[in-house]
Amino acid sequence: MSYIFQLKESEQRFRALFENNPDLVLFQDGTGVILDANPAYLQALGRTKEQVMGRPLNDFLPKHLHQLFAQKLREAFAVHKVQFDVEVQFVDTSTTLMLSVTKVPLVVEGVVRGVHVVCRDMTDLFVSHRLIREQARKLNTIFESITDAFFLLDQEWRYTYVNGEVERLLAVKRENLLGQTMQDVFPAEESGIFYRHFQQAFQLGQAVHFQAPFRSRDIWLEVKAFPSKEGLSVYFSDVTEKVRSQEELYRQNQDLQQFTYIVSHNLRSPLANALGLVDLLGTLDKSSPDYDQTLDNLRASTQQLDTVLRDMNTILSIRDKQDVDEPEHVALADVVRQAYLNLEELMEQCGGEVVQHIPADLCVLGNRAYLYSIFFNLLSNAVKYRSEERPLRVEIKAVRQPGLGVEVVFADNGSGFDLEKAGPDVFRLYKRFHSSQPGRGMGLYLVKTHVETMGGQIKVHSTVNGGTQFIMQLR
Amino acid sequence: MDVLLIDDDSIGVFLTERLLKREGFTKNIASYSSAEAALSFLQQAEPDHLPQVIFLDLNMPVMDGWDFLEALKPQEEQLLGRCFIYILTSSLAHSDAERIVDFPLVAGLIHKPLDSRQIQAVRTQVEAPDPAGPTA
Repeated sequence: MSYIFQLKESEQRFRALFENNPDLVLFQDGTGVILDANPAYLQALGRTKEQVMGRPLNDFLPKHLHQLFAQKLREAFAVHKVQFDVEVQFVDTSTTLMLSVTKVPLVVEGVVRGVHVVCRDMTDLFVSHRLIREQARKLNTIFESITDAFFLLDQEWRYTYVNGEVERLLAVKRENLLGQTMQDVFPAEESGIFYRHFQQAFQLGQAVHFQAPFRSRDIWLEVKAFPSKEGLSVYFSDVTEKVRSQEELYRQNQDLQQFTYIVSHNLRSPLANALGLVDLLGTLDKSSPDYDQTLDNLRASTQQLDTVLRDMNTILSIRDKQDVDEPEHVALADVVRQAYLNLEELMEQCGGEVVQHIPADLCVLGNRAYLYSIFFNLLSNAVKYRSEERPLRVEIKAVRQPGLGVEVVFADNGSGFDLEKAGPDVFRLYKRFHSSQPGRGMGLYLVKTHVETMGGQIKVHSTVNGGTQFIMQLR
Repeated sequence: MDVLLIDDDSIGVFLTERLLKREGFTKNIASYSSAEAALSFLQQAEPDHLPQVIFLDLNMPVMDGWDFLEALKPQEEQLLGRCFIYILTSSLAHSDAERIVDFPLVAGLIHKPLDSRQIQAVRTQVEAPDPAGPTA
């Protein structure tokens, strides 16, 4: 009696579980015929229990799934627990369900009596997963389609996203970046300009916007970085062309200033002389001694005019790199001698001397006119700023340093100047006739421009009443 | 009329000298190729030996024309009315004309080359009775 009672109770417990289970549950025999189905299942099918009972499950499945379900049923009957996921739209229903199906064989006294099929409706979960995947794909599409290079750094500076433009611009592979820190991938940038700006963005929580050279690729980048909870979103683009054309514009502007200076001084001076000499010549008696001298001076003036024009042509064309003459090997000692000869008179008047230690065969790669101008200006300055307390002495030394080029040291014992005070103005172009100070007007500006145009560098040391030293690195 | 030329360009000096002679400036014409030397001459000269006319070049390597004029400022009072400075430059910069107003000693700005008309104008200006002072 109590056994039967227990059995009934057990049966009721099972029924309650079966009937109230939110999962779709049914019971099939070996041929796939439905022997029992719970309300959740019937609801999914949109059928009554009567319409379902005794009919094969296949009647309610789309044709393409018949085989799969039959196969799984066979496996379950072979006393396996079977689990699989399937997307199914039951016959005559309008929704597609994503079901996780478990088939459990019911074994009584060693014989499989049927199979319980439990289908868990995973549709919502699946849909939200798919949504996430789709959004990720969309985001990916956006990041790939924007013209900017884009990457994400997490709080530890690890790359968590890298788009294709980054790979292209920086010549890197994203698999070598993802998961690595910026410092790992670009050790040269550690404490560099990019690092500093990104650190600022991280620390202050503020967006940064800057332009910087990316040395290893020899390009200029314009960068915008936005900090967020996730880390740093960084957008950048190649602005090399823009930067280069700005530099070019700046150079051309400098050329124009030089050009104006040359026209108003160097060019007009011999021309004005020539005009005057022609005027004079017309009123002179051919037999007078002045006549020949005037003619000689006229010849000299026109030659001077030609020289200036030739120099101008060089200056104007040298920066325009396409049609520059190749830099030539210029014997340094020769050029220094030429510059000296043009100032010899002044030099002798002030009792100065120039000592040069330049090997006769030492050549530098550059432009003769520039080199001449450099030494002419430096010598002229040495005379101009000599000390009244001692005779001027200029020493010019040049040595070739293998692999480094030629180092030229131009030293005088003149009045010197306060380098602290002059600071960066030493080489700057003053507007001519602007300052009433005894000015360093044009000379050092030209010197620096010439040195840099030839790919060199110039530095200056000076002590008040001690002298001035210019150190040039030429090629 | 004593004339002083300050110009570092020897051809320029030759030309100006000959042109002045042609126009009748046959008296003393002295020249200095450096403004510094000319300055020390002027600073030491007896008033009677001061030149009446100075032609001053602007673009010179050691001390340029403007530096020279600045250095002459302390003597301005003494020289005014006795000494007429004409800037004689090959430069065409407009800023030069604006700048000469700072220097009362500068009687005029002449662009090279000097010609007869300009020389005669200088002569007229220098020989004219000083409107501010007593007539000679």
